[in-house]
Amino acid sequence: MSTLTTPNSGTTAPAPDAGPSRESATRNAWLIVMNREIVVRALNKTFLVGLLVSIVLIAALAGFFAWQDSRTESFDVAVPAGDTTAVAAVGSAAAVGEERDAGVEIGTVEVADDAAARAALADGDADAWLHEGDDGWVLSAPGEPDGALTQLLAAGVEKEVLARNAAAAGTSVTELSAGSGLTTERLDGSAIDSGTLFFASFALALLFFLGAIGSGQMIAGSVVEEKQSRLVEIMATAVPLRHLLVGKILGSSVIALGQNVVFAGVGLIALSFTPMAGMLPALSTSLVWFVLFFAVGFLGLAALFAVSGALASRTEDLQHTTTPMMMAVMGTYFLTFSASGTFETVLSYVPITNVVSMPVRVLAGEAAWWEPVVSLLILAAFTWAALLVGERAYRGALMQTGGRLSWKQALRTEA
Amino acid sequence: MTTSTYGADLDVRDLTRVFGDHRAVDGVTFTAPSGLLTGFVGGNGAGKTTTMRMIMGVLAITGGEVRFGGDPVTALDRRSFGYMPEERGLYPKQPVLDQLVYLARLRGISQRAARTEVLDHLERLGLGDRTKDHVEKLSLGNQQRVQIIAALMGSPRALVLDEPFSGLDPAAVDGMVDLLREHTARGVPVLFSSHQLDLVERLCERLVILKAGRVVAAGEPARLQETGRVRHRLVVSRDAGWVRGVPGVHAVDVDGPVALVELADAASGQRLLATAVEREVVHEFTPLRPTLAEIYREVTA
Repeated sequence: MSTLTTPNSGTTAPAPDAGPSRESATRNAWLIVMNREIVVRALNKTFLVGLLVSIVLIAALAGFFAWQDSRTESFDVAVPAGDTTAVAAVGSAAAVGEERDAGVEIGTVEVADDAAARAALADGDADAWLHEGDDGWVLSAPGEPDGALTQLLAAGVEKEVLARNAAAAGTSVTELSAGSGLTTERLDGSAIDSGTLFFASFALALLFFLGAIGSGQMIAGSVVEEKQSRLVEIMATAVPLRHLLVGKILGSSVIALGQNVVFAGVGLIALSFTPMAGMLPALSTSLVWFVLFFAVGFLGLAALFAVSGALASRTEDLQHTTTPMMMAVMGTYFLTFSASGTFETVLSYVPITNVVSMPVRVLAGEAAWWEPVVSLLILAAFTWAALLVGERAYRGALMQTGGRLSWKQALRTEA
Repeated sequence: MTTSTYGADLDVRDLTRVFGDHRAVDGVTFTAPSGLLTGFVGGNGAGKTTTMRMIMGVLAITGGEVRFGGDPVTALDRRSFGYMPEERGLYPKQPVLDQLVYLARLRGISQRAARTEVLDHLERLGLGDRTKDHVEKLSLGNQQRVQIIAALMGSPRALVLDEPFSGLDPAAVDGMVDLLREHTARGVPVLFSSHQLDLVERLCERLVILKAGRVVAAGEPARLQETGRVRHRLVVSRDAGWVRGVPGVHAVDVDGPVALVELADAASGQRLLATAVEREVVHEFTPLRPTLAEIYREVTA
């Protein structure tokens, strides 16, 4: 605590302990900077609206999947009265539908003749009309018959006709198809199918992309804002620039990570209401790895984004100076969500792409326990290097006011 | 720690900065004495801003040194300096009070003390009801007031202000000068640059004139004026053309009964006056001290 001069009092005795309090304040200056970054960002309307919209989108998407899945459609199929094959075909189609959990219920409406069938279709008493034609079977509907219904009926008709033909040939379907079954078996015991895996890798790549771009631009913008307004010159006389950089990096990392945790949390909660709830344990493990990787990786990215901001001289320059970083982040996004096989294994060790690829491999059950650990160490080494180089370039570029700078110029200059 | 005493001079010794092969500041030496306002003038590109940035440690020094209270200036000293950079701004989208408190806290002032002091300053400069406004909503003059507050917080031990008065109306200048006087009264050296020579003449106890990176004149304004060429104006009743013939007198301009002359020595003046009294009625004989603007033009020509 220093005694302060109140402006009204004119002359005041010098603050006797101004020295020590100032010195100790340097040590936690990064904390003050970090707090400001977080508060300013968290109160920013654009950021809050964006966050809210994203959350609503995630929840709505999950809700849509859940609704899509739980919804059952029922169809009434008209069949000629007394046509046992047709009735049996519709029956087995309904059975298949139930077995596959396709969400389709099928009932039969017997009609006397063709005219009655057409009338039933026209009145809406029946959705489709199944009858034997000259060459096989015909499914008629007022318009194009429903896709799911057609698929199920095709299976039902095939089964019944096969049975009828087999009986005519003096045998049975069971005898004919004996030993032809094929079952699949996963040796790794994972419950994740390839569709879910693709969805998950897409979701993780997107989370990475949103967090890195959003918070990366935020730190670059905040750096150039201070440079352009020369606030950084005032602050540089008050605290070491390193504190300023560390505070900014940690502040934007907290925001980026917080945003990702919120998104992932909303996504997981939403998933728990869908039939995919069974995958939650596997997904959660993978997400924990992702959050860990992202936390470590973003620190390095943030340092590089801060340099992008310091290289600019005015806000208008940002578009140019942040381009390399944007390309890197976008490249990571596209590579990681589309990668597979050996390529994906390589990506899961290369810094920044491993933020997404390694958690995906963990989810797929491909990675041995030590693999994410090694990959995380590689990422930590990358982040450490990025922090060291970034800190030097940041200090070098920050006080130079004559237009846009290059990385080389920034690294060469000694303050 | 006993370094927090007030009353230390700010010395600049042989300060030099080279950009590529351009010597922007070339061996600049002067003192901004404790308790005085020192005006720093010079044309565009004379090196004022570069010098001030080096004093504040924002720009690396190529040669020479800055001393505070007789010792080489340290980072800790500079933490206690108030600084106003040129072409400055603030966080446009943050409320006035919040960002001033933030800047004060970075300088090691506690949250509560910072708040009290900032509110006090805002009140005094007529911004008491704008504390929650975003800076971008303030007029340029008001933004300037906020910036000076940023420099004056926490009882600074020296003030380095780059163009603190640019864009302010006379009343605002007076208000700000009153504030600065309170700091000089504590024994703080104040160095400020300005293009407004009349203002510098009125305010400063010391003056440093810079030209092409070098100090061309420095000292008290009154002394500088004495060392400048003093002219005399003579007004008589009829045509004063005869002054051209008086020995030791150089007639700069004669316009009817008014003559503007430069005198070689005091005796020439007496001779001129005696002749005038003898010939006709003398209405006026006045020494003309050069204005700062004239001295400035002379030394930077």
